[in-house]
Amino acid sequence: MSDIRKWFMKAHDKGKGTVSASKPANAVETKGDSVPGGQENSGRKKTSKYFPAENQKARDESGNEQLPAKRKVQNDSSEKAPPSKKPSKVDVDDDFVLPKSKNSVDVTPSKKLKSGSGKSVAPKAVDIGESDEDDVKDLESPVKSGGKSRGGRGAGAAKGPANGRGKCGDIDKRDEDDVKDLESPVKSGGRGRGGRDTSTGSASGRGRGGGRGGFMNFGERKDPPHKGEKELPEGAPDCLTGLTFVISGTLDSLEREEAEDLIKRHGGRITGSVSKKTNYLLCDEDIGGRKSSKAKELGTKFLTEDGLFDMIRASNHGKASVKGESTKTSVTIAPPLPKRSPLKAEVKTALTKSPSASVPSAKKRGQLLQHSSLPWTEKYRPKSTNEITGNQSLVKQLHDWLAQWNKQFLGSGSKGKGKKQNDAGAKKAVLLSGTPGIGKTTSAKLVSQMLGFQTIEVNASDSRGKADAKISKGIGGSNANSIKELVSNEALGVNMDRSKHPKTVLIMDEVDGMSAGDRGGVADLIASIKISKIPIICICNDRYSQKLKSLVNYCLLLSYRKPTKQQMAKRLMQVANAEGIQVNEIALEELAERVNGDIRMALNQLQYMSLSMSVINYNDIRQRLLSSSKDEDISPFTAVDKLFGFNGGKLRMDERIDLSMSDPDLIPLVVQENYINYKPNSIGKDDSGIKRLNSIVRAAESIGDGDIVNVQIRRYRQWQLSQTSALSSCIIPAALLHGQRETLEQAKRNFNRFGGWLGKNSTMGKNYRLLEDFHVHFLASRVSCSGRETLRLEYLTVLLERLTNPLRDMPKDEAVKQVLEFMNVYSISQEDFDTVVGLSKFQGHPNPMEGIPPAVKTALTKAYNEGSKTRMIRAADLVTIPGMKKAPKKRIAAILEPSDDVLGEENGEALLENENTSDTEDLEGTTDGEKLQADLQSLNSKGIEVQMELKGTGNSSAKKAPAGRGKGGGRTAGSAEKKGGRGSGAGAKRKR
Amino acid sequence: MLWVDKYRPKTLAQVIVHEDIAQNLKKLVNEQDCPHLLFYGPSGSGKKTLIMALLRQIFGPSAEKVKVENRNWKIDAGSRTIDLELTTLTSTNHVELSPGDAGFQDRYIVQEIIKELAKDRPLDTKGKKGFKVLVLNEVDKLSREAQHSLRRTMEKYSAYCRLILCCNSSSKVTEAIRSRCLNIRVNAPSEEQIVKVLEFIGKKEGLQLPSGFAARIAEKSNRNLRRAILSFETCRVQQYPFTSNQAIPPMDWEEYISEIATDIMKEQSPKRLFQVRGKVYELLVNCIPPEIVLKRLLYELLKKLDAELKHEVCHWAAYYEHRMRLGQKAIFHIEAFVAKFMSIYKAFLIATFG
Repeated sequence: MSDIRKWFMKAHDKGKGTVSASKPANAVETKGDSVPGGQENSGRKKTSKYFPAENQKARDESGNEQLPAKRKVQNDSSEKAPPSKKPSKVDVDDDFVLPKSKNSVDVTPSKKLKSGSGKSVAPKAVDIGESDEDDVKDLESPVKSGGKSRGGRGAGAAKGPANGRGKCGDIDKRDEDDVKDLESPVKSGGRGRGGRDTSTGSASGRGRGGGRGGFMNFGERKDPPHKGEKELPEGAPDCLTGLTFVISGTLDSLEREEAEDLIKRHGGRITGSVSKKTNYLLCDEDIGGRKSSKAKELGTKFLTEDGLFDMIRASNHGKASVKGESTKTSVTIAPPLPKRSPLKAEVKTALTKSPSASVPSAKKRGQLLQHSSLPWTEKYRPKSTNEITGNQSLVKQLHDWLAQWNKQFLGSGSKGKGKKQNDAGAKKAVLLSGTPGIGKTTSAKLVSQMLGFQTIEVNASDSRGKADAKISKGIGGSNANSIKELVSNEALGVNMDRSKHPKTVLIMDEVDGMSAGDRGGVADLIASIKISKIPIICICNDRYSQKLKSLVNYCLLLSYRKPTKQQMAKRLMQVANAEGIQVNEIALEELAERVNGDIRMALNQLQYMSLSMSVINYNDIRQRLLSSSKDEDISPFTAVDKLFGFNGGKLRMDERIDLSMSDPDLIPLVVQENYINYKPNSIGKDDSGIKRLNSIVRAAESIGDGDIVNVQIRRYRQWQLSQTSALSSCIIPAALLHGQRETLEQAKRNFNRFGGWLGKNSTMGKNYRLLEDFHVHFLASRVSCSGRETLRLEYLTVLLERLTNPLRDMPKDEAVKQVLEFMNVYSISQEDFDTVVGLSKFQGHPNPMEGIPPAVKTALTKAYNEGSKTRMIRAADLVTIPGMKKAPKKRIAAILEPSDDVLGEENGEALLENENTSDTEDLEGTTDGEKLQADLQSLNSKGIEVQMELKGTGNSSAKKAPAGRGKGGGRTAGSAEKKGGRGSGAGAKRKR
Repeated sequence: MLWVDKYRPKTLAQVIVHEDIAQNLKKLVNEQDCPHLLFYGPSGSGKKTLIMALLRQIFGPSAEKVKVENRNWKIDAGSRTIDLELTTLTSTNHVELSPGDAGFQDRYIVQEIIKELAKDRPLDTKGKKGFKVLVLNEVDKLSREAQHSLRRTMEKYSAYCRLILCCNSSSKVTEAIRSRCLNIRVNAPSEEQIVKVLEFIGKKEGLQLPSGFAARIAEKSNRNLRRAILSFETCRVQQYPFTSNQAIPPMDWEEYISEIATDIMKEQSPKRLFQVRGKVYELLVNCIPPEIVLKRLLYELLKKLDAELKHEVCHWAAYYEHRMRLGQKAIFHIEAFVAKFMSIYKAFLIATFG
């Protein structure tokens, strides 16, 4: 339904509303009504019985919203006008919404429609009189509030279609409405929506034009303009049964989730896209998206939120009136209620039907219950493999495997065994994995049964420790021994008389539960698998469990997936039918969703609920399972989504704690990364953004608290604070800021980002290590003894200048020479050079290496590598104390050997490597290992070269060098060794 | 070689800037006994230089023959063993290390490593000094626990081991340690002193200094002598001969922080906060210590701020810096400060301009 239609309806109803509500106008009303006749009149009174009630409600609402002050001065009737608009809309919606659902009802509707239209003409006279008043009022209103031009535009746009699309005899009235529409948007600051907006007065709703583009952006759905301002209707629980809805765009007061919930609660079904089955497209404004065009194509009805509310409310009132009048004859009900009757009739039929349906079923159920006291999980356990819900392909695979087993491992004898072991299908055991309650054990048993295997089940209730080696030959004392025995003895049995002996299969249930008590259980199981002469089926929940790491290599892995909710609902429906429970599919799907794919749990829940009620609907399931919902694994993202989601404020505290504790390390990081993106919906109107900013401040502070608490937890092991940590780092920020998420960067998807801290922290760690390496070299030059921090903060700028400036400005050879000299003084290596450059790079600033011709860079690298032969290596003073690490020794030995022959080659390689790195500036790349190798080699060569150039002053420092470890004595060997040590030290560091 | 290092005074006699301290130290050492020392003062004031000169005074030239060791330590801490890597500078008579580098594990360094180093008697007992010296840098970065474990060490092994502690702020060193040391406050050199040093260097290098140029550098350096010399040299690299109005290049990171400050002043919104976070991350990743970032940011903001807000903003900066020290993830607290500032400033703007 488009807005236009509604506008004139509103107007029409407004007239009527005032009529029924206000006494002064009563005279006019009777005059108008006298045309249809006395029966109609009586119906009127009936309706007016509940009209005032609704009117009251509407007025309450409008009381909350501020009426423009001036409005109040006006006379009685016009003051009542705005509130009365709401109920009036109800009527109109009924008029053209209901016909669809009326199909099943009797003939009355046509009559009703007629009477309805007749009546709608009647109040016209009233309207005219009143619209004069409106005009006067509206003439004033533009003055009152700004934004006239905008509103005018909206109204103008609305006017065109309105004229074009009108129906039957309402034309003259529509003109009136147009006039009114022209004005009312003006008042409401461009909202372009009659009725309610006049009452909200100057509320800055979303402009019509402005809102439009927003929907096209994914995830950028606007807030509902009148969020939370309307009261949710209460209706009969099944009033929407059988109807399918599609929601499009922003609704008037409900968030999408709320609307979905509302519809589901009343038995309706929500789908994502419009199809032939869709009954209604729920949208408050026609935004021309794909859904609406499709809907138009298919002729789907459009429904506004108010329309939906009215449908729901109507059902309730219908029921109420049915109840009230049920003492009278039911035949008389229909005519006296001109407008309600179609709906009521429907409700009535539903009501009358349901008892009749449920009574016998209850009886049936009683009989059934007498028969069986078994739990349903046992009673309805699948009897054949076809009955298993979901995972059929896996069951088939299991079947094939088991069927092939004997042939593969026993029949063919020993000749082809080795070859087959490589074959993928030739694992001797199978490992079924999946969450509890999805039918692993059942399928294992069923398949075995089908193939005529005798099953032996061993589960966590049996001790499954390592078989005692001594007894294993003799009588099996413990269970483990009997498994061994079974596994090995079966071989005998099979060999002797296969035909007579039943085939056996061993089902090891819950293998991941093999814990402390079952020492060596898994290892023993593997051993058993190796020698086994019978098939073994292992079942576990978590295939990636650390305990099972070794086991998975020996097993064919079959991972069970959760069945879809539709699959489950189907199965549950069968059970429900068999038990004679009244339940609709939507409720069952909800149940399936709630139990998170666990059929066993769903059945248990269903059985439990069946004890107390025979009709189960959506609401019951929601309520029941709210408390008993299963622990599920949720990802940090889902948790943060939930915490910060629109309904985050409605979560209970324990739910919030559960969510934030689902990963107490990661979630605070994700929260911290994303909390700025949320537009809190708890702060209300916030023009300047200051409120949001204040919320962010509080959240940021709380996140900081969380960090501090976390330090206490980790450093001082105060684990009792973990809840406090969750509270301050997740829950408080979420409570402050939950709402709609918005993107802060262009072209970013509107999803929560992963916590950036981890990545940044590791980059920071890497950079600190590089800086430390550099610092060590720097210190080793003995020229300076500054700290690492000083080096970064103060030296780095000038170092960069000294290193890059000459390369940029001076002629190549000279520049290279100068830079190399400088590097030698501070024993800056090529890597350190890169570190200096890397650390001086800031986002949004020019790369410090910019402007240096590649030829110069290459020349520098080359010169550096050449120079490394003759360079005095001060870094040689760096010692890694031998014995602290294992690796160095070997390397030192290797390094001490002269390697002149490979030198040239190595240097060439190193040069290439270095070129690479200096070009890409990638210090962390995959070439690290190779680079390290090259590094070592060049160090190696340096180590040798040291012999040639002894440092004049070096003698005293050599004192402490471990004597007699190298080949030559004294300084040379010492330094060479130290060299090696350093190299490996760096290697170890890099690898971390 | 950079001028900072080239013209660093090697002996106490050469010291220009803190002559009085140097003289006192000389006397102290000559009287044969040397107490534990705690040097404190802002960075770039010459603490390290004084310490090195002092060591030379005590042990003679051998103190300069240092070697750098990158040692791995295995520390048995109850249930687990901790691997620590620590760089030390050692000579025959002294060991220098920065225990603060180990982060939150600094306690083990003090408890195990320093104790072990302190326990060892000096190698050459025939030398004239019967003790060795442990130089600990950045003691103010040590956690409270580490400082507590340090004080016992100081007493127990004082017979043959002296500690020289060096830090920026003595207020972050516990009372107990301060009372066990002779505290030496090293002031930041005054601008005149800096100018004197710069002119001295200029003369040695044979440079023409335009009048007022040295003064400008001194002013820019924020009374940090090292800074002054380094930027003097940067200027020299960038342009020579000097002109009196030559731009004195700021440090890269300072420039970046001032950009952040401009961003913050320009717009106060969640979006901007998000961008600022990215930039702060950039700084942290480039190894700029978070305290410095926060301090500098405050400094830059104060420059542009209305007088009536200054007090409040300073208060919050201190508040968040304290929290940053208590916590571990610095970015959280810097971000909280930025958010706080934005909200204060925005409220101020709204109140003033509507």
